[in-house]
Amino acid sequence: MKRLVALVPVAWLGLFFLVPFLVLLKISFSEPAIAQPPYLPLLDWADGILTIALNLGNYIFLTEDPLYLLSYLSSVKIAAISTVLTLLLGYPMAYVIARAPEHRRGLLLMLVILPFWTSFLLRVYAWIGLLKANGIVNNALLAVGVIDQPLVMLQTDFAVYLGIVYTYLPFMILPLYATLSKLDADLLDASADLGARPGTTFLTVTLPLSLPGVVAGSMLVFIPAVGEYIIPALLGGPGTLMIGSVLWNEFFLNRDWPVAAAVAIVMVLVLALPIALLRRVQAREGERP
Amino acid sequence: MSHTVLRLVVIAGFVFLYAPIVSLVIYSFNESRLVTVWSGFSTKWYGELLRDPQILGAAWISLKVAFLAACLATVLGTLAATALVRHGRFRGQTLLGGLVTAPLVMPEVIIGLSLLLLFVALDNALGWPGGRGLSTIVIAHATFGTAFAVVVIQARMVALDRSVEEAAQDLGARPLRVFFDVTLPGLAPALVAAWLLAFTLSLDDVVIASFVASPGSTTLPMVIFSKVRLGVSPEVNALATLVIATVSILALFSAWLSARRRGAGSGLSG
Amino acid sequence: MSNPFIRIDGVTRTFGEVYAVDDVSLDIQQGELFCLLGGSGSGKSTLLRMLAGFERPTAGRIIIDGRDMTDVPPHARDVNMMFQSYALFPHMSVERNIAYGLHRMGMPKAQIATRVTDMLSLVQMEKLARRKPDQLSGGQRQRVALARALARRPKLLLLDEPLGALDRKLREETQLELKKIQSSLGITFIVVTHDQEEAMTLGDRLGVMNEGRIVQVGAPHEVYEFPQSRFVADFIGTVNLFEGTIAEDRDTDAVIASPEAGIDIRIPHAVTGTAGQPVAVALRPEKIVISRTLPDPYDNVLTGQVTDIVYSGNLSVFHVTLASGKRVRVSRTNRLRAESEGIGAGDAVQLGFTGQSAVVLAS
Repeated sequence: MKRLVALVPVAWLGLFFLVPFLVLLKISFSEPAIAQPPYLPLLDWADGILTIALNLGNYIFLTEDPLYLLSYLSSVKIAAISTVLTLLLGYPMAYVIARAPEHRRGLLLMLVILPFWTSFLLRVYAWIGLLKANGIVNNALLAVGVIDQPLVMLQTDFAVYLGIVYTYLPFMILPLYATLSKLDADLLDASADLGARPGTTFLTVTLPLSLPGVVAGSMLVFIPAVGEYIIPALLGGPGTLMIGSVLWNEFFLNRDWPVAAAVAIVMVLVLALPIALLRRVQAREGERP
Repeated sequence: MSHTVLRLVVIAGFVFLYAPIVSLVIYSFNESRLVTVWSGFSTKWYGELLRDPQILGAAWISLKVAFLAACLATVLGTLAATALVRHGRFRGQTLLGGLVTAPLVMPEVIIGLSLLLLFVALDNALGWPGGRGLSTIVIAHATFGTAFAVVVIQARMVALDRSVEEAAQDLGARPLRVFFDVTLPGLAPALVAAWLLAFTLSLDDVVIASFVASPGSTTLPMVIFSKVRLGVSPEVNALATLVIATVSILALFSAWLSARRRGAGSGLSG
Repeated sequence: MSNPFIRIDGVTRTFGEVYAVDDVSLDIQQGELFCLLGGSGSGKSTLLRMLAGFERPTAGRIIIDGRDMTDVPPHARDVNMMFQSYALFPHMSVERNIAYGLHRMGMPKAQIATRVTDMLSLVQMEKLARRKPDQLSGGQRQRVALARALARRPKLLLLDEPLGALDRKLREETQLELKKIQSSLGITFIVVTHDQEEAMTLGDRLGVMNEGRIVQVGAPHEVYEFPQSRFVADFIGTVNLFEGTIAEDRDTDAVIASPEAGIDIRIPHAVTGTAGQPVAVALRPEKIVISRTLPDPYDNVLTGQVTDIVYSGNLSVFHVTLASGKRVRVSRTNRLRAESEGIGAGDAVQLGFTGQSAVVLAS
């Protein structure tokens, strides 16, 4: 009975999450072909001889065309900048919510989470209406007279940053709130009592103690942002290079499944370190009473 | 930073979070097809929306998928949370722990692509699942829905007073009885939250569904995505307003429920 | 009279409608160990937090060493506090915790190192200097908290339930240690506690607080032997209260008629009040002698029946019910291993006490 309880989810997640990675790995080593499915088998059983055709061509291809390297670098850059921006906005919000009177905290937290429950796609879409040339922001600025030419905001990297910060803000605020609300108010009083001004108290006590929240929140934003597809597709321009879009195009437009698989495997490798970091922080937080 | 500055940042943060949503709602009542240029109040786009067979069909598929995926995710999530929280150390615990957290952060393009490749490989080897469609989307959504469900249920399970279960055991209940009589009622709010979360996530997913769906099983987000790639569309604004209204009502309802429960609880203890 | 070191002048603090501290005035001398004693919600912690600067008085002034501190923020006060939770910084080692306040003063590094070493040896924690707070026992944490608060050599040290988290044995040892440290450093201490025994052991003087007000201030024996109100008599130690009215009041003696006690209680001094005024006579359990037949004459003798005997090792407490139904507690040190007279439950006994040991309370 006890075994079954663990076995069912392990089996399900193993089959539909872990095994797919192995398949992905396998196909990243196979040769593309015009066939159904569009790749050659890795193992070939012919005339009683098993041939394994381990093809590194897809990976070599990734290094030959600078598009891929540039896309990885650009994805990491866009994700990193967006993460820092999200942190700069999310930290003060989490701080104020954690320090708010207890009866008001629930409402404020709900206001943070509520947008997350409405469709992500529709919320990103809303920015198109706001940012486009004859959109709401430009119309408002023109009407006030701040500008006399509409600003180009849509289809720029700026719009992508905005979209990522907007979408992932709750993921930053929630872990930050969790660590900040656990922070003992006596520690802040003790720091003031020992002669620290509010700014010093923040730097020497509040910030170091909320570091697990900072790391967790940043990773929860950074990791999915690296592989983001929808936001650059809707808000980015032709110059916006992101690896999620590259993978999507390899698969849906070029129908080159093996190269798409190789792109995905390299992306997992790029994300391995941040994922490990996140796991460590979460495991350590879990140990605390 | 002074308190006024902090307060201003927070207000700006909430304006940032809500301004786009509010703009969607307002402009869904705009008569003009040029969504962002106001030309008068109208509800005609709601009419158009409800007469669009493509959107209605996709919505029906999405609701079916989301319902099934949410049910599966809640059951699997409950099992996984029980194993992780209540069974102490067991072999495969680290594996299970990793398996339930990894989908939370894994980019959707990777999950989608790898699942599709699995389905194709399985089809070739076993003849199952026999092409793509509703069932493959349900499986995909149930898988990442489980990861989210575990987080919600686990948190509640850790907070539950273990001694209540021990009391039930002490009074002669077998483990299964304890689970249904004591654990499950205690978990109920978390189960509802987990189900709703998995349901919402499924209803919201474009990327993974695009990989594992067939042309005959296009979900609502896929239809919306193809529409909005071409620019803003008043019908989508109307649809968004309906979604926002539904979510807000559900959120208010759940807030009311938990406020009522808290009231009842304090009545008991006080 | 010279100016007091600390003058709390008409200080009031309200939270909404609630008066947490209500018009408190109090003078404390340099080098004194003053205990603020009260139950939860009595306002003692709020008063302490106002001295530290965490709360602002709604009205009144706080003057420390001749300087008005009412509006000075906590980080700019020569006052330090030892928190009830200890509030040690969990991410810093013992020595970094102690050095924290010194860094904030801008003290040179070498001097900080010397001071930290001094403080560590003062609280005997030299060997654990590099540990983190979560690697210390409760008693060790308490000592680090004390060292950290003393490191800046404050003019005034505030201690919020300093021994509250320690077990009984350790608490007794630490009380003495704390007193020793205080007298050797000559720093003024204000200790908040809800434990009357602790307050009496520690304090040079104590102030009893109730509902935001200071109800009595005095040396421990004054407060114990001469409580000025029913609240103080009841809050500090155990007391028997006999309700009655003033029957006779002369220059040299008085008589209180108490139907509850069943006798007219004779007091060998004048009382404040007029004849017929309702009063209560307070009598500590250890001031009463219990016997089947009292060997010596007493000013006042009550008779009753033993209903319970509670044995607690060093002493026994007899619960005696009088004819009026009033229950009286009498305590007796167990000088011998066995009860000499063999008083048991159900026995009729006499209770004797001198008028000198009773206190007449008007309020």
